[in-house]
Amino acid sequence: MLTTVNAFLAAKGIYLLTFILFSLGTAGMIVCNNYMKKLICMNIMQVAVIFFFLCLGQKNGGTFPVALSEAVRAEEYINPLPHGLMLTAIVVSLGTTGVGLSLLLRLLRIREKYGTVEEDEIIRREQKI
Amino acid sequence: MRKALTVLLLTAAITLPFMFFDILPDIGDPASAPNSHVSDYYIEHAIDECNSPNMVTAVIVDYRAFDTMFETTVMFLAGVAVILILAYHPKRRLIVPSRFRRFDARTGEPMYNTVNKDVMVSIIQALILIYAIYVLFHGEVSLGGGFQAGALIGMTYLLDVMVCRREVPLFRLGKFKAAGTAGLGPFIYAVTGLLPFIGGGLYLQYSKLPFPVHEAELHSIGITIVEIGVTIGVAGTIIAIINALRERIAFDDEL
Repeated sequence: MLTTVNAFLAAKGIYLLTFILFSLGTAGMIVCNNYMKKLICMNIMQVAVIFFFLCLGQKNGGTFPVALSEAVRAEEYINPLPHGLMLTAIVVSLGTTGVGLSLLLRLLRIREKYGTVEEDEIIRREQKI
Repeated sequence: MRKALTVLLLTAAITLPFMFFDILPDIGDPASAPNSHVSDYYIEHAIDECNSPNMVTAVIVDYRAFDTMFETTVMFLAGVAVILILAYHPKRRLIVPSRFRRFDARTGEPMYNTVNKDVMVSIIQALILIYAIYVLFHGEVSLGGGFQAGALIGMTYLLDVMVCRREVPLFRLGKFKAAGTAGLGPFIYAVTGLLPFIGGGLYLQYSKLPFPVHEAELHSIGITIVEIGVTIGVAGTIIAIINALRERIAFDDEL
């Protein structure tokens, strides 16, 4: 029994952790009322997805994907493809975070001016002026 | 309690189908599907075809160069979008709200008695920039690359802006100049892609670059130029986003 659980956790345990991280991000985006916290939770979700892809690239007995000698055998190095894809994903997530923050600033400005962020209310007050 | 229940339910709903139906491969299995087909080719042919011992760099800027070119363009567009969303007023009136005024830099007196952070940050910035240059130019022979170097340069600027509050920042790039610099990166990338046409090659085919050196060297030169472009693009975008977010220019409806 214990060995079964052990083998299961060794084979699939890291997926459980990434799924918990992903769920934390999703639940935070749903539950939190603060937009800043929603943005942070979105980042946590992205990090979980990145971890998931990096987990898929692992190999037993493999080192980092820089060729150490002339003769290269594929079993000796971990998979470089998820690393390459996730490198660009990290940088693009930085851009999306920046756009989200700027939208947040814009929203704050609308809130300062109109006292609400509901579209109907803003249009009504705009017509009143 | 409600939040914990939400997280538990979500975890169960996402995890159970994946964990118990063998959709996902075992961790570290060399024969699993993501580790078997195309990645073996990348690992074994990176040195022969790209002259790049770092396989991640070979995948990013040689095998999948189109992908990276448009990722850099996405970064540039993100920087432009941040500036456009926080659009400026034509009079360029810089507004510092009165509630932020008491956080202004207090010149003359050190903030802490133990470590003078201005001096320390200057030393750390120089070290980070040297490291960034190292990471950039050794990107194809060791661990590193253009994205990392750009992020390091951007973080140096962030350190300068957030910690020191100097009169003159480290890089004299306003948000518009920084966005222009960010656009320069994809431009360098695209022009490097056009150069092999002179030698009769295809777009981004580094082995046909018009330089009189060996073919393997041509790959190194192409990868280095492209990575310089990526670095400039990423660093410019980060600086543009930081500047646009912290410069509280009046919005167009504010006066």
